Amino acid sequence: MPGLIGFYTFGEGRENWDASQFIHYGLSALQGRGQESISLATIGPGNTLHTLGGKGGVEEFFQKNKTTLPKGFIGVGQTSSYEDDYLVHVKTPYELALALDGKTDLHENRGEATKLFARQLSQLLHSEKEPLKATSMLINKIGGGYSFVALTHKQELIAGRNPLGVKPLETGSVGFDIAAVASETCALDVMGIDHTGPVETGEVIIHTPEDIRGNTPANSPSSFCSYEYVYLARLDSNVHTLPIAKIRNSIGKEMAKAHPVKADVVIGVPETALPIANGYSQESGIPEEFGFMRTGENIRAALKPTQKERLLGVQLKLNPIKSAIKGKDIVLVDDSVVRGNTLQNTVFNLKRNGAQRIHVRIGSPALVSPCPYGVEIPPRDELVSGNLNEKELANTVGADSISFMTIEELQHAIGLPRQNLCMRCFEKGAGTQ
Amino acid sequence: MRIMGIGGGAREHAIAWKLGLSDHKPEIFWIAENRNPGIHKICRDNQGELRTGRTTDAKTIVRSARGWGIDMVVVGPEEPGFHGIPDALEKEGIHCIGATQELSVIERSKADLRRLQWENNLPGKLLFRTFKNAREASDYIRKNIESQPWLQNIVIKPARQSGGKGVKLIEDRQVYLHDEKERFKEAYFDSLQASMAAYSDIEDKILVEEKAWGPEYSLQCFTDGKTVLGTPLVQDNKSAHEFDSGPETGGMGSISGPDMTLPFITREEYDKSLKIVEGIVESIQKKTGKSYHGMVGGQMMLTENEGPTVIEMYSRLGDPEALNMLAMLKTDIIDIFQAIVERQLSKLKLEFTSEDAVVVKVVAPNGYPEKRDKAKGHPVQVLETNIKRNGCYLFWGNADLHEDGQVITGGSRLLALMGTDHTLPPASARIEKTMSSVQLADGWGLYHRSDIGSQQLLAKRQDVAERVRPLYTYREEHGILGSRMGWVPRVGRIDPSHLMLQETHGPEKA
Repeated sequence: MPGLIGFYTFGEGRENWDASQFIHYGLSALQGRGQESISLATIGPGNTLHTLGGKGGVEEFFQKNKTTLPKGFIGVGQTSSYEDDYLVHVKTPYELALALDGKTDLHENRGEATKLFARQLSQLLHSEKEPLKATSMLINKIGGGYSFVALTHKQELIAGRNPLGVKPLETGSVGFDIAAVASETCALDVMGIDHTGPVETGEVIIHTPEDIRGNTPANSPSSFCSYEYVYLARLDSNVHTLPIAKIRNSIGKEMAKAHPVKADVVIGVPETALPIANGYSQESGIPEEFGFMRTGENIRAALKPTQKERLLGVQLKLNPIKSAIKGKDIVLVDDSVVRGNTLQNTVFNLKRNGAQRIHVRIGSPALVSPCPYGVEIPPRDELVSGNLNEKELANTVGADSISFMTIEELQHAIGLPRQNLCMRCFEKGAGTQ
Repeated sequence: MRIMGIGGGAREHAIAWKLGLSDHKPEIFWIAENRNPGIHKICRDNQGELRTGRTTDAKTIVRSARGWGIDMVVVGPEEPGFHGIPDALEKEGIHCIGATQELSVIERSKADLRRLQWENNLPGKLLFRTFKNAREASDYIRKNIESQPWLQNIVIKPARQSGGKGVKLIEDRQVYLHDEKERFKEAYFDSLQASMAAYSDIEDKILVEEKAWGPEYSLQCFTDGKTVLGTPLVQDNKSAHEFDSGPETGGMGSISGPDMTLPFITREEYDKSLKIVEGIVESIQKKTGKSYHGMVGGQMMLTENEGPTVIEMYSRLGDPEALNMLAMLKTDIIDIFQAIVERQLSKLKLEFTSEDAVVVKVVAPNGYPEKRDKAKGHPVQVLETNIKRNGCYLFWGNADLHEDGQVITGGSRLLALMGTDHTLPPASARIEKTMSSVQLADGWGLYHRSDIGSQQLLAKRQDVAERVRPLYTYREEHGILGSRMGWVPRVGRIDPSHLMLQETHGPEKA
């Protein structure tokens, strides 16, 4: 699933800004959302839209293309966890480049669905006089769960979030010169831009050289992706005004209350589960220890496309710190279990290094259904929790016990009403559209 | 009594409104560059007239004032002061409420204001440097950015008021974006130099100041040169769009009340701010040997190094801040003006309502501020009874009343709507309810900021104030308020504020 950036400048001297540099560092901050494919589009003084895309990661892409980066003073960028997943460039009738997080319901395939959406937007912008009205109409008509940024040949930067609001999008500005949108607030921080608030569900914001205009979103029931809070968003981000760090701590505390166990130490699986383990330790009083050391750069193993890459990621990431483990009863805290084989690998590693009992605590409900909105949760027959119960799973991975959060516990930890949270990946029988 | 006003914006409409409410029942005359429909009506209702003419042309103004037999003139905007209109009127023996040319330097020249503050070691100042040209500015900054770290985060301004040239903020806090910021900064220096080349009368063309952060507010005052009387604090909102984004404008709306301070500024901070404005009035009088009589205002910010700090000075009332203040004013405005003329302000007790919070929202045509030609020339439709029914007030700004009775947009801020209530959010909501009463007849769009006065924006201001207040009070308690201590490898301990005092002030006093 992608991370999005939109960068906009105003006023005298705006042609002196190089949008690609801001997009570069903004995307760096979003690489936790995946970095298999990187792309960006900018507009320079000639009003020509230039695009560039290539294999990730973010740093490699920008280093490799240093001399050929599209120059311009406004732009959009995307980093995606999918291979060959670039922003869509539509040339006629209304030229635009569009990057979309989530998925529209125009096609089963996410990429195709995004292309169709971009073409419809281009058509509507061409036929309707008022771009704000055109875009509002479109997001109210096209279903699915998505947020997007689009750059048009008329120097418009359009940011939108469909009424369901599954995927996040945040706005920021600095001085009188710069405005930006990003999937997460951490990207605004890294670009040195002050966060001003979320793009509301059902809201469209259009930046033009003259102004910033927004529609008044209808008060429709929103449904925020709960997996953002559990796993996807970065720890230093706020998603729709809620601080991720605080939620992950609450998840740990909630787990300790609902799924207590006697043990000597709490160990979190880096990186996402560390604050959850911290919350578990604070609530239970069981001390937390650093259990693993990482080799190489931070890899989000679960987002890697092949099994080999995922295991490679986990094995490099998780070298056990033997002194913390040997002879201990351990609460092993992780954020989620997808296929189960990385968990199996981790438990095996701990046991081989002298751990006594291992109680696995997962800071989210069991993943049982794929995501209709494009989060890379595999089909049901690849989801271990869709096929095994907790006891069977514990035996399979070699743990002494394993428990997941319930949907109610997670909802409580996030602190939003149940109806405002999308939990379709945790619900059996859902997931198809 | 015959009074004449100068200027045709919403601020001047509000001044005319208060004159019309005075128990002295003055006859009201006016000179403005546009036929402001609101001022036009007030003049007509008060046995006077509105005449259009250049408000910076002393001959026109003096001739009209003499012709009408005017007793007292009140100047709205800053430009007439910069051009010596009050001086010309006083030479003719006509009383004028407004800073004279020499005194209005505190607004006209941002560099002179800073120098005045440092020479007199007044509280609430910012580090600054002036430069003769772009080359000198960029060379100096490149050379000294390591040894004077404040040069990383700066505000660039034309050293003197210059047509349309704005303020640029450069926060160079991310080393990975340094090249970007540097290129932008140097290009802006070049463009500033080009536009300032026309002014051959001053050496310094470019002003660079340290960039501060914190909540901003305006303190407007009346003064007769001996006494400075403060009025309720007002906060203006300069960015064109919601939540402080987008280009700089003259001000998109303002909040005040329900008391003398704002919900995020303490009474103590108010008192300190008033002292700062008093200090500037005193210093500029001492320097010029002239007496200041009229309005003066501090555009203030709470900053970590200084506490209440001057960002810029007004030699007049703010627009739209004047609307908030005048709405809260209970004292008869003519009594104030007379006390200023008679240098008796110390005997006057200024009274303001303590029950109402006031929100002002400016309505501007699409295109303002970046493409004013597009914003200009559209016919306006206003349902005044609707506005009144919602308990709101309308003040006309950059609008022109044509002979046929049609009002046409002028390209700048069209009008301001004002609402009052016990607290700010309901006052803001009141204006929102009647916003649709203002339209352009040709379908061209209007915009305003719905967030001004909202709970959400207030919370944001509160949050900034609560972050910066402990920083400056800590410095205050530890006796280091105003210092900018640092340690630079190979250079050692530095304090740029100490250096600046030595430079402007001579080593013995620093």
